[in-house]
Amino acid sequence: MQFGIFSVGDVTPDPTTGRTPTERERIKAMVAIALKAEEAGLDVFATGEHHNPPFVPSSPTTMLGYIAARTERLVLSTSTTLITTNDPVKIAEDFAMLQHLADGRVDLMMGRGNTGPVYPWFGKDIRQGINLAIENYALLHRLWREDVVNWEGRFRTPLQGFTSTPRPMDGVPPFVWHGSIRSPEIAEQAAYYGDGFFHNNIFWPADHTKRMVELYRSRYAHYGHGTPEQAIVGLGGQVFMRKNSQDAVREFRPYFDNAPVYGHGPSLEDFTEQTPLTVGSPQQVIEKTLSFREYAGDYQRQLFLMDHAGLPLKTVLEQIDMLGEEVVPVLREEFAKGRPAGVPDAPTHASLLAAKAAGAAGAAEAAQGAEESGSESQEVSV
Amino acid sequence: MKLVVVSAGLGVPSSTRLLADRLAAATAERVPSGAEVRVIEVRDLAVAIAHNLTSGFPGPALADALDAVTEADGLVVVTPVFSASYSGLFKSFFDVLGARDRDALAGKPVLIAATGGSARHSLVLDHALRPLFAYLRAVVVPTGVYAASEDWGAEGLPDRIERAAAELAALLPATLPAPRREREEPEAFEVVPFEERLAALRD
Repeated sequence: MQFGIFSVGDVTPDPTTGRTPTERERIKAMVAIALKAEEAGLDVFATGEHHNPPFVPSSPTTMLGYIAARTERLVLSTSTTLITTNDPVKIAEDFAMLQHLADGRVDLMMGRGNTGPVYPWFGKDIRQGINLAIENYALLHRLWREDVVNWEGRFRTPLQGFTSTPRPMDGVPPFVWHGSIRSPEIAEQAAYYGDGFFHNNIFWPADHTKRMVELYRSRYAHYGHGTPEQAIVGLGGQVFMRKNSQDAVREFRPYFDNAPVYGHGPSLEDFTEQTPLTVGSPQQVIEKTLSFREYAGDYQRQLFLMDHAGLPLKTVLEQIDMLGEEVVPVLREEFAKGRPAGVPDAPTHASLLAAKAAGAAGAAEAAQGAEESGSESQEVSV
Repeated sequence: MKLVVVSAGLGVPSSTRLLADRLAAATAERVPSGAEVRVIEVRDLAVAIAHNLTSGFPGPALADALDAVTEADGLVVVTPVFSASYSGLFKSFFDVLGARDRDALAGKPVLIAATGGSARHSLVLDHALRPLFAYLRAVVVPTGVYAASEDWGAEGLPDRIERAAAELAALLPATLPAPRREREEPEAFEVVPFEERLAALRD
């Protein structure tokens, strides 16, 4: 199971000091958070993509490329990449380039974006959000798998004899997650392709997350990629910890009460009771995170939002240290207990490469012998 | 048979609630199999509704009320008139209901009613409430009941209550409870097979 950090990249004033970081400080802080994630033994860093203030990460592969050069192990990802308003050709090129530079330590999460004006700013129509996600991804999927693509669609100029360069590393496209909070169409899309499904549950009650994940799992099986339990699921979480839970609540409350996303609404107590937000001791974070499995099943990727509500960088880095030292080692051990043997890990470049080699060997055998559906090649193991 | 009453009065006691109770009683009397009446005082959910608007999900008490409305066989809704329309809180209750499940009121019989200080705003039923519930795809009974302060001491109100209640009762399941619409469970997600979606874009 993978554990990591995802960042929205918001520039938010620190309510305790009234100070707002500059964009440059925030961008550098995101990089520092990613480096700390690797140092703390975490597996993944994912950045959001936004095209409006107060958010800074408009150019994810630039940031991730820089982080790639300064890390060794960390998987670099997104949360999310806007499949609606970005040109799928540019996504194919940018992330293949990043994949080579990062020696395969790259995957990405598709999302539609939740800011209405971004669509018209990029010449798109928000009413076509789902259709854009479907058509654009269908093209992206082909661009990474076919050397020469002839293509015609509704939303983009046609392509004749187009080759997206560079080609994916080792002929293995980056693994793709599809992120959606409310749209069953996207769970269906992820299932259709046998891609991962990420439910960013951080502002949602458990029963909603359960329904979306169950839909994805059943449709994943429907399309023959494996059993429902073998589907690739990711979840979010957000925490603030101190050794003593009262200290955590006391320190985090002014941030919670004033944060643009949850401030001035439900109380911290109501919010922690009804959503994955945990403010307390590392042990409480462990218990809450382990409870996700009760409604989402055994899953593959857990991302934590740590740099929320205007917390200063120094505090965020301390939090990531605690996550790495006190929380994630226990979670790794506990999540491994009772995990059925057939539940795969999250795909990585190495595992996808191995699966591809096994698939090619299987195909050669199958060509000699009986017919074979080829569904085995979808199975991912490390 | 479940009859749910949504009353948006703010005072205690409230003339809005008074009207709501009379409409509920008159309706229940006409249901031979008996009616289980539940009254939702929107006032008690005011903070929870505001939180739902900002956080995007209902707290437990509000979720329970929204479920009750969704699963009701019929509704009586009563609002005071504020600034020539329904109260903002009344509207917000139905806003969060519709955002949670846009089919929550589809096909549901609804009796609309309002209270006001004078008869001048009686058309609020037809210029504000009726379009709101038409948008929510409810079946609104022809008679709406407006009660101005003076109506409580005049002739006519009981007749209108009786007529509206009869119209609502006629749309309610008479003896056997109709198959009740529960909130959608996971199996009920409507999935359009992905090939169909792709194909539609290729046309």
